[in-house]
Amino acid sequence: MSEELDLGLGLLDHQLVDCDGRRCGNVDDLELEGLREGALRVTAILVGPPVWRGRGWFGRIASALATGPTVRVPWEEVEKIDSAVHLKKTARELRLGRGDDKARRFVDWIPGS
Amino acid sequence: MKIFQIALGILAAIGGFVDIGDLVFNMQAGAKFQYSLLWVVVVGVVGIIVYSEMCGRVAAVSKRPVFDAIRERMGFGVGLGALVSSQIVNLMTLAAEVGGMALALELLSGLPYRALIVVGIVVLAIVIWVAPFDWIERIFGYCGLALLVFAVGAIKLHPDWSHVAHGFVPNVSSSEPLIYAYFAVGLLGAAMTPYEVYFYSSGAIEEGWTPKDLGLNKANAMIGYALGGFLSFALMITAGVLFFPQGIEPELIGTVGLGAQVPFGAIGLVLALVGILFAVGGAAIDTCFSGAYNLAQFFGWEWGKHRRPRDAPRFTIAWAVLLLLALLVIMTGIDPVMLTEYAVIFSVVALPLTYIPILLVANDTAYMGRYTNGRVANAFGLVYLVIIMLVAVSAIPLMIITHQGQG
Repeated sequence: MSEELDLGLGLLDHQLVDCDGRRCGNVDDLELEGLREGALRVTAILVGPPVWRGRGWFGRIASALATGPTVRVPWEEVEKIDSAVHLKKTARELRLGRGDDKARRFVDWIPGS
Repeated sequence: MKIFQIALGILAAIGGFVDIGDLVFNMQAGAKFQYSLLWVVVVGVVGIIVYSEMCGRVAAVSKRPVFDAIRERMGFGVGLGALVSSQIVNLMTLAAEVGGMALALELLSGLPYRALIVVGIVVLAIVIWVAPFDWIERIFGYCGLALLVFAVGAIKLHPDWSHVAHGFVPNVSSSEPLIYAYFAVGLLGAAMTPYEVYFYSSGAIEEGWTPKDLGLNKANAMIGYALGGFLSFALMITAGVLFFPQGIEPELIGTVGLGAQVPFGAIGLVLALVGILFAVGGAAIDTCFSGAYNLAQFFGWEWGKHRRPRDAPRFTIAWAVLLLLALLVIMTGIDPVMLTEYAVIFSVVALPLTYIPILLVANDTAYMGRYTNGRVANAFGLVYLVIIMLVAVSAIPLMIITHQGQG
């Protein structure tokens, strides 16, 4: 992954997809390193309501209203990036998509679910 | 076989084109200004064709639905603003469509309106739960074709065709320019409602479109919506013949049905009501799904009817909650026709936030590779962006000044 990538347009806010093709969150923020040395490097993708705080006024309000932890996905776990960000492992292994896992019990008692 | 498939899709698109916003605004515009606003419907239909084709292409090539594009291009803050406003409009529209269904059922069965609202919601929930995605589209689309009774009716009513033809030439009414402008904005809003593009693009992903389906996308958008536009013409012409000379303003769904009863008698009325029931019911499902799609896409949840409910639980809960909220809204006894007018006018304000990201993404090679917009799509896209901006800025002032077109 040495090609050029516009972090703002090509990575931030994009869909995360796990190795089984499951949608498991969006890139809510990025963890960067090396800003002072002039060798900027993405070290992790950050997901979850607490990180929305850094995303403007609306982000702050939404972050205050929503609950849930910050999940840090190390950059090494990224398989490839096209219009979505594809991950090497399952959502469960990366602790992503837990909202859907929790919500499942409200749905899976209904016949035909 | 391929042609057959395309034809089936187009038929469903025609039947699915008309919703309660089109019914209300086309009938009222015809009753108030006879045929002179027909040209605005043409402008609106071309607009929805241009942007549906674009977002269908984006979905087929990049697998990104509209609300992904909104957040990716506009950022979290503006994206969230777009989400909140679109959800409010979606809920209003959904409630209005459910109210429309109940009114049509009431006229068909004679049972009480509020009981029929509950029946309508329960039936919608069961259909969404049980039927596969393409079946939902087809059932409602085909039965909605009963609305063609208005097209045949419009011819049978012998309108003055030279007057009708004049209506297709852009013109401005001199007597009541502001009310005229209000209805023009409403007609554009009804034809280009944002939920249609949310649904269209997510539907393309539900059906697993790939670049191979771009022909199907073009056919669905161009032919399906253009022919659907004919139903809008028919509604306006019918109202222009029947209601304009008498000065009647169709405030009720029943008055709309009259448009088919006059030329065909009772059978015409029944066909019109069945058509309205399915057109509006199909639109209710589309808006309900659109709301759930938008929410899931903005927050990155798993979504789609192609997933089992247990595999997309938050998406499933989202559409169920939206149905429930719509039930509560419409049970208050609010008039569905009035609610429709508000929903259409407010949706116009949200239009730019939906259409700008589509245009940006459709031009982005990172998403689209060699399938980016051509010159024609961009020329149309830009012209419509200007129209949408003008309409968005003027919609609410016009609604206030004209007291919703009452003068």
